[in-house]
Amino acid sequence: MHAGFIFLAVIIGSVLFHIFTPWWWTDIASNWGAMDDTINLTFWIGGGVFVLVCLFMVYCTFKFSYKEGRKVEYKPEDNKLEKILTVATTLGVAALLAPGLIVWNEFINTPKNALNIEVMAWQWGWQYRLPGEDGKLGTAQVAKISDENPFGINLDDPNGKDDVLIQSDELHLKTNRPVQILLRSVDVLHNFYVPQFRAKMDAIPGIISYYWFEPNKLGEYEVLCAEYCGLGHYGMRAKVVVENEQNYENWLNEQETFSSLIAKQNKIEFNTIKIAKNNN
Amino acid sequence: MSDHTLDKLPGGYKGMAADMSSDQTTFKGVQWGKTMMWIFLLSDTFIFSCFLISYMKGRASTVVDWPNPSEVFALHVGGVPVPLLLIAIMTFVLITSSGTMALAVKYGYERNRKKCAWLILATAIGGLTFVGMQAFEWSKLIHEGVRPWENPFGAKQFGSFFFMITGFHGTHVSIGVIFLFIFARKTFRGDFDTGKRGFFTTMKSDYVAIEILGLYWHFVDLVWVFIFAFFYLW
Amino acid sequence: MSDDYKENITPLEAQSSESTTESSDSIKDIDYVRPAEVADQDLYHGHSFITKWIFCQDAKVIGVQYFLTAVFTGIVGLILSWLMRLQLGFPELVPFITAEHYYQFVTMHGMIMVVYFLTALFLGGFGNYLIPLMVGARDMVFPYVNMVSFWMFFIAVCVLMASFFVPGGPTGAGWTLYPPQAILEGTPGAGLGIILMLVSLSLFVIGFTMGGLNYLITVLQARTRGMTLMRMPLSVWGIVTATALAMLAFPALLVSCIMMTLDKVLETSFFMPTILKAGEVLDYGGGSPILFQHLFWFFGHPEVYIVALPAFGIVSDLISVHARKNIFGYRMMVWAIVGIGALSFFVWAHHMYVSGMNPWFGFFFATTTLIIAVPTALKVYNWIITLWKANIRMNTIMLFTLGFIVTFVNGGITGIFLGNVVVDVPLSDTYFVIAHFHMVMGIAPLMVIMGAVYHWFPLVTGRMLSEKLGKWHFWFTFLGAYSIYFPMHYLGFIGVPRRYFEMYDSPYVTSAVGMNEFITVAALIVGLSQFIFIYNIVVSLRIGKPAGRNPWKANSLEWLTPEVPPAHGNWGEKLPVVHRWPYDFNVPGAKEDYITQTTPPSEVLGAEVEKT
Repeated sequence: MHAGFIFLAVIIGSVLFHIFTPWWWTDIASNWGAMDDTINLTFWIGGGVFVLVCLFMVYCTFKFSYKEGRKVEYKPEDNKLEKILTVATTLGVAALLAPGLIVWNEFINTPKNALNIEVMAWQWGWQYRLPGEDGKLGTAQVAKISDENPFGINLDDPNGKDDVLIQSDELHLKTNRPVQILLRSVDVLHNFYVPQFRAKMDAIPGIISYYWFEPNKLGEYEVLCAEYCGLGHYGMRAKVVVENEQNYENWLNEQETFSSLIAKQNKIEFNTIKIAKNNN
Repeated sequence: MSDHTLDKLPGGYKGMAADMSSDQTTFKGVQWGKTMMWIFLLSDTFIFSCFLISYMKGRASTVVDWPNPSEVFALHVGGVPVPLLLIAIMTFVLITSSGTMALAVKYGYERNRKKCAWLILATAIGGLTFVGMQAFEWSKLIHEGVRPWENPFGAKQFGSFFFMITGFHGTHVSIGVIFLFIFARKTFRGDFDTGKRGFFTTMKSDYVAIEILGLYWHFVDLVWVFIFAFFYLW
Repeated sequence: MSDDYKENITPLEAQSSESTTESSDSIKDIDYVRPAEVADQDLYHGHSFITKWIFCQDAKVIGVQYFLTAVFTGIVGLILSWLMRLQLGFPELVPFITAEHYYQFVTMHGMIMVVYFLTALFLGGFGNYLIPLMVGARDMVFPYVNMVSFWMFFIAVCVLMASFFVPGGPTGAGWTLYPPQAILEGTPGAGLGIILMLVSLSLFVIGFTMGGLNYLITVLQARTRGMTLMRMPLSVWGIVTATALAMLAFPALLVSCIMMTLDKVLETSFFMPTILKAGEVLDYGGGSPILFQHLFWFFGHPEVYIVALPAFGIVSDLISVHARKNIFGYRMMVWAIVGIGALSFFVWAHHMYVSGMNPWFGFFFATTTLIIAVPTALKVYNWIITLWKANIRMNTIMLFTLGFIVTFVNGGITGIFLGNVVVDVPLSDTYFVIAHFHMVMGIAPLMVIMGAVYHWFPLVTGRMLSEKLGKWHFWFTFLGAYSIYFPMHYLGFIGVPRRYFEMYDSPYVTSAVGMNEFITVAALIVGLSQFIFIYNIVVSLRIGKPAGRNPWKANSLEWLTPEVPPAHGNWGEKLPVVHRWPYDFNVPGAKEDYITQTTPPSEVLGAEVEKT
């Protein structure tokens, strides 16, 4: 009775909170609206069950509160009712699972025209590598990483020479073109997450993981690391800039390739050797 | 131990259903200690399964070549390398000790104290021999440079998994050996005949305890067969 | 049971207690229950203070010991949560909390609450006290090993608490202890801290294996005459199924702890791939971090059901006693508990959807995870249908069960969000997950624990707890906890990740500041209001109303002992004989609104009892 009113208030309050909440999804900036749709469907079905179950419970507390001598139903089982409820629940579950798995299938099958971008994670920052003109990323190994070779690219691999190296934490993307993020970690688990893009995947040292998305809204987005990686986890940020073709090409042309990095170092080496020779 | 009264129970699925729906006990005529040992062994099976599955995963995804077990585990007899000789002897010893244990259980229930006690002792000595040979193998491999963290024959994980799994198994065998010696003494002394109360548990001794220890011992033997197959033969 | 078994040759007939002889005319026949199969248990009776209260083999004393130790760890976990919330809500107030401290708090809070508080409380605390009583046994089947199991748990707790005081402090790797970071510099406590944690967990597993064997075998083999499996209260079903899960899931935890300890101490590479740290390639290589995750979650998922299933069982009993009505669909409830338990072994990788594992596994695990929702939902329906046309006493205990239903359904539904693999992609590792598991595993089982304490306190102590204080305690706890975790889901929707020491000045997460402050205040209020509970317990122990026998007019055996509180050996001279299930409430034609399990049919001839 009295208590029933408070429980009722909790149910109604929850529904109202949901309707009027200022804390809601960030505006989606990628193609994964289907994830949002699946979540909405789950809200309708799941939220509906929550409200119905709790309202029924509250109703019972009002209607059947303790009265001496009340006639109570003694019915240990009702197989028909149990069957109906089982079938209804199974249908509800299937209604959620089917669309969910369809979208998951899209998620794990990267479109053929996606641009491969290697996102390299380390404690506690990000850097990126693009495949360059030949469209292929050169093979790389953690053991080869050094100051001269910050991505550990195999020197004998011809595909690696034209790889575009981006050592800052700012990645630019062209709008409306799908990209496949190839995640790589050199130490512990990390996760490259931009809430507005919805997609995410852990970066595991020792393997390459992936996910794909198509950015479709211009803007600057913050990257958050979404897998605990030690003390610097909360500060491991980066930026993704989604821009139109022109601006993207301008940015891309400013980046250096692996071969130009090598050349720059050879020149430095050459200069240091020259200085050394002059001094001796 | 089993009374002819147990024969009155219906068998087959009908019997199982009747047992499950009956009052008091689900497993008719089975001592509490025995049921506990069965469940404990089920749990222990999961432990060794986790170890072996992890080993298979580690081996399947190795980037460096895995050492050849026949070469690594060979014994040199008179200058001739005999692959897996030591393991074969160890397996024979352990399986034989399972045999002596089974006989011990039989004689225990027949209340033939002397035979039972000697057979338990024989099992204990078999187990001790096994542990000794395992220790010998460990020292031989360590001498050749195999360590948990690396080895000269191939993938690092070879030594890690080897020492961990055989170490765990060897520990299980050692614990079994200790209990076997204790039980041998108890049998010689006649504790199981008189129902003497245990030192720690203060529960009355009974010959069923030997069968319970026997279950544990057979389990340890069975795990060895799997380790032998997965680690040494694959 | 090592009593002289051979002497006691009673003819064993595998028939259920309902079978009668041909001539069923005499009243005596309808009261027939099969004779005893085994001799009465021979118990060790302690006489000194130490053997009666410290190294005691009485399962009831052991149960209280587990309860008190678990509650102590729970209080430590609660204080850690306050420190975490202060950092998240009002960081300026707590400048002494560094990122290192924060992650240590997060880790220890999580591990303590899940393992040392909830699991120990349900299995060790409630299991030890209730199981022998509810099945009509005098004690557990192996009281000595049961006693050792408690002391193993106690030592495990000591080792865990010791990690607060070692150099480097306790581990700050997150309760999931993922490698490689858990054992590398850059994570707090990566020295002695993580080693002590792994040792403590191993000791815990060994101790709970010993205890678990007792709980299982007592239920399987030591029930009293007339007590079939389908006449056991659902509390026993819940606890014993959880125990079976524990026996099969803890091995994976033990194995992962051993392998991680070796990775740390001996520099093996079970889980450690090639790692570059501070410009140097470490000596590790070839290992798989995902292997750890598979092992951990093969344990971890059944673990949450080990916490949930006893709560399910106990809440069924609380509802039926205080609504004066049989639990609806008892058989289905039993099958649901067993089914959920079995299925729980096939869903573990829903914790790994974005782990980088083979994406095809996502299909399988999403399907199994959503299938497990069906028996769980059936249980919820049965609880509320039990309330239909019942006679509900709105006392503190009933309030807690209603609170359980609201919070469990809420938490269960958000689980469906996360179980549907592609929905988990944006929500994984955000505050949505934290809100989900606190609601479904923190608040809901806690409601049951509190309700259960109010319910069984009269049995254990012989006194009643104060109803007035109980109601205050309930409303503060339920409303407060709901206000903490319900809004928290929405932080997950805006993308706030977990395990963030602070948010920095991210453009959109600054909107979370107000919410964080609100949640912190609510958390502190809920925490403080637990003192009402403690005060109630302490005061009622001295001046609480004497309870007498069976104050709630319940049916199950624990209320029917000759002495209250029950003495060692529980039943005095004669073991009870059971004639029915524990849910004969308001049977048409019966004089009272309850019929205890030991009431023979001849005493309730007019009642239209259903055969159980």
